[in-house]
Amino acid sequence: MGHGSIQRELRIEATPDVVFDVVSSPEHIADWWSADTRIEATTGSTGELVWTDAETGRRDVARIEVADAQPPRLFSFRWTHDADGPLHASNSMLVTFELTPDGDCTVLRMTETGFRERGWDEAKVEAEYADHVNGWDFFLPRLPVYAAKVGANR
Amino acid sequence: MSVMVDDDLWSAVGDPTRRRMLDQLLQDGVGTPTSLSEHLPVTRQAVTKHLVVLDRVGLVHGTSAGRERQFRVDQAQLARAVAQLADVGATWDSRLQRIKRLAETIQSEKDNT
Repeated sequence: MGHGSIQRELRIEATPDVVFDVVSSPEHIADWWSADTRIEATTGSTGELVWTDAETGRRDVARIEVADAQPPRLFSFRWTHDADGPLHASNSMLVTFELTPDGDCTVLRMTETGFRERGWDEAKVEAEYADHVNGWDFFLPRLPVYAAKVGANR
Repeated sequence: MSVMVDDDLWSAVGDPTRRRMLDQLLQDGVGTPTSLSEHLPVTRQAVTKHLVVLDRVGLVHGTSAGRERQFRVDQAQLARAVAQLADVGATWDSRLQRIKRLAETIQSEKDNT
């Protein structure tokens, strides 16, 4: 996995049907993402994610487009704050939920790639072609240290 | 809540050559376009262009010393870039914990009816 993406995996004590509904339905997105939306869990569905600050009433709006919906095993969407026109790899982030049954449970794997610029994708391509270079090997081990420093200063 | 990421900062650090320049500067403490180009498969002119991008977002600072400008990493700004990356990860962790709790609550309600 490239460093321009985030990947998480967790085991949930619920069936894939239930988990799919939670990650994809507006009713539950309102809960886990605090966002109002009217998207449908079907490929190509488009809409908005709206966060409203309860105190100030200020609204924060992002666009969302369902990239692939295959209940109950896959749900992916693109989202962004600042693009006009179609959403694609260079202007939005791609979030993918993969659901794998495991007995009565579901293994949920989430990846997010994009970070609103192509640099990270290019970095991945570069990494594949230039295996003699390991700049990130130096940079990455320092990240937690820097992050901790910043956290301590907040 | 969504996490806002500083696009210019991310674009600056998103380029592989620029990241390797940052690595080199962190390792050596200080560098010039000439010294950096010796470690990279790009020309001194290309390094200079990348330094301009890094300088614009405050990741490096140049000082005039002798014939060539010397560049150092701005640790505070680098920490800021890193913190944004960490924030994105932490935010997903809390979202996923909410997804897990919701799904498990729904499942146990189903099982008990």
